[in-house]
Amino acid sequence: MLMKRLAAAAAIAVLGVGVAACGGTDPATPGPSTASFKAGSTMEKLNKAQKITIGTKFDQPGFGLKGLDGKPAGFDVEIGKLIAKELGIPADKIEWVETKSAVREEVIEKGTVDLVVATYTINDARKQRIAFAGPYYVAGQHIMVRSDDSSITGPDSFKEGTKKVCSVQGSTPATNIKKYLKDEATQLVLFGGYAECVDALKNKTVDAVTTDNVILLGFVASSNGAYKLAGNKFTDEPYGIGVKKDDTDFRNFINDLLEKIAKDGSYAKAWNDTAGKFDKNTPTAPAVNRY
Amino acid sequence: MAQPLIELNSVNKWFGSLHVLRDVNLTVDRGEVVVVIGPSGSGKSTLCRAINRLETINSGTITFDGQPLPAEGRALARLRADVGMVFQSFNLFAHLTILQNVTLGPIKVRGESKANARERAMQLLERVGIANQADKYPAQLSGGQQQRAAIARALAMQPKAMLFDEPTSALDPEMVGEVLEVMTSLAAGGMTMIVVTHEMGFARHAAKRVVFMADGELVEQAAPAEFFGNPQSERAKDFLSKVLQH
Amino acid sequence: MNVLWEQFPVFRDGFLLTFQLSFLSAIGALLVGTLVAVLRISPVPPLRWLGTSYVNLFRNIPLTAVFVFVVVGLPLLGSSADFLKIPGLDQIFTRLGIDLPYFRFSIIALSLYTAAFVCEALRSGINAVPSGQAEAARSIGLTFTQNLRFIVLPQAWRAAIVPLGSVIIAMIKNSAIAGFMGLYGDLSSRGQELVSAGVNGVTYPLIPVFIAISLGFLIMTVPLGLLLDRIEKNRMVKAR
Repeated sequence: MLMKRLAAAAAIAVLGVGVAACGGTDPATPGPSTASFKAGSTMEKLNKAQKITIGTKFDQPGFGLKGLDGKPAGFDVEIGKLIAKELGIPADKIEWVETKSAVREEVIEKGTVDLVVATYTINDARKQRIAFAGPYYVAGQHIMVRSDDSSITGPDSFKEGTKKVCSVQGSTPATNIKKYLKDEATQLVLFGGYAECVDALKNKTVDAVTTDNVILLGFVASSNGAYKLAGNKFTDEPYGIGVKKDDTDFRNFINDLLEKIAKDGSYAKAWNDTAGKFDKNTPTAPAVNRY
Repeated sequence: MAQPLIELNSVNKWFGSLHVLRDVNLTVDRGEVVVVIGPSGSGKSTLCRAINRLETINSGTITFDGQPLPAEGRALARLRADVGMVFQSFNLFAHLTILQNVTLGPIKVRGESKANARERAMQLLERVGIANQADKYPAQLSGGQQQRAAIARALAMQPKAMLFDEPTSALDPEMVGEVLEVMTSLAAGGMTMIVVTHEMGFARHAAKRVVFMADGELVEQAAPAEFFGNPQSERAKDFLSKVLQH
Repeated sequence: MNVLWEQFPVFRDGFLLTFQLSFLSAIGALLVGTLVAVLRISPVPPLRWLGTSYVNLFRNIPLTAVFVFVVVGLPLLGSSADFLKIPGLDQIFTRLGIDLPYFRFSIIALSLYTAAFVCEALRSGINAVPSGQAEAARSIGLTFTQNLRFIVLPQAWRAAIVPLGSVIIAMIKNSAIAGFMGLYGDLSSRGQELVSAGVNGVTYPLIPVFIAISLGFLIMTVPLGLLLDRIEKNRMVKAR
């Protein structure tokens, strides 16, 4: 059953590209794959429209970063493209919308976007308003140190009370790290943004910077080898794909796709082409959570 | 002949285009009391203030005790310590008591001990008749008392000369006498004094010499009896006729 | 308003740190500001120019920029502002002596910025001292420095006390920025932490938290205002 659906979807994807190539000439002609989607479903609607609007971050290196060419690039973006492809929509028919953290639920509820792939942590508070497909990636809080420093191996290295760590004022990572500190006053430094933290790390005022690995990866990538991640991530932040709360069909459709790409290698390729440039450890796709 | 204590040679000063001192020559000997009179705006205050360089001059020379006036700096501060100055508006230090006003200079400038400065200050305040006001602030004293305190403050520096710039002009009439009295006794004690004033009575009986100024010029100078009895210039006659009428 | 009672230690610790920062910065600002004011009225033109430039610079750039220059600039110059690790003082104000320099940096940034305003308040005070006072001081032989120290500044201080008070009150409020510039644990940033990151997963609503923060600032600023009123009254009595 599952295999059958996947095969059908693959066929649709291939055909979909063909449709897109000539779709502009005769918009009245329905895509040949239309019949494969459940009538009235979001998938059918999007496929018919040959257009999808996806929300992502524009400022997150490795995941969603809008480049000078005006197109966002990153792991989230690749996941978005894979979903579009599955719907029979070519990449150039995707409209990308910047969704900053604070507005993500709102744009889904209002229907401004069809889905959100934007370093979007799955949690219960958010599930009250929207639904998550996935997770497709498990991010987590990590520690970044100077490359020549091997004295910090994880959050426990702070317990002794000598190592100093920097994070962003009012952030969850800043709160998380506190329980590993012996004395906040002599070990914790908080700034308004991460750039200042990286600067403090560079001039050795602090020994480490901590926040989500995704953010740290960006800094590691642009540091020309000056920084590295120390140890393993010590919290779990499962990233999901946000859709309308009651659209279970669409959610299942995406979950199916995620399972498929985990197996067929396109997940690994998406990673290696994007975030994998900073982090050679290609993650194993996490099991989707069909709640 | 002894060297004069104060000597002005061809002194000129302008305030912008206003020529306030015109080629003034004046010598004052040790122990001499010179009273400068003249109509307002005649430059007599400026002359007085130029002697301790509260006003700078544009040309000419001023020497004090054989030395030309130094430019700004420590040397000038030392010179000023030797020249007492009494202002029309008293200028007592408002945040200090009368006693502190008098002892500040001796302690900070002369390096006297506090006890010593205090003892001399009390003697001086006794001499000017306000020893009982020593611990009050200037604002608590009458104008006459304040001016006497200001004289004591200047005297505390043990100056070689005293300059008085219209010392009674800001006083209520009933207080003028007490200040003049102090000044008269000072003159009698042999202090070298230059006094800019409108008090003709003081000029007449305390001055050794009267200098009359008008329009920035030193018009004439003579012993008081001669000046008041027989003024030479028209401007002096005119001035005296006006001030002596009332 | 439960947040104030439930999280009282958070607010108390934040308050104590903000108080220390404000207290030390006020001293720094008054010292530097007085120095700059003296430069501005100095008889030496280059010094005057220096003083004027200082005021024009620091009065006209945002405090955030001053913080960045200090917090990012000093480490570039290799300084951790260790000269502020004043023995004795660092026993009372323990943050002064620790390895992390951001408490000291915050004091420097706040002091430098506020000094420009202190200078102007003092200068208005100096202008309020009648010129006869300085003249009388010169006439008894006080040097420029003695004149300032014993005659002009003591009186200028009194005339400037009310505007100076406003400057210091503004500085106390400005100190809130330190929490975003490396300093951990001042009143407003700890408060905001309760809103955005929370404690043990519990976050608090904005309004009650900010009411509690405001209360903390009022505890510092209102008595200062009352003290100023009193000093001003005393001064008027003395002057009469």
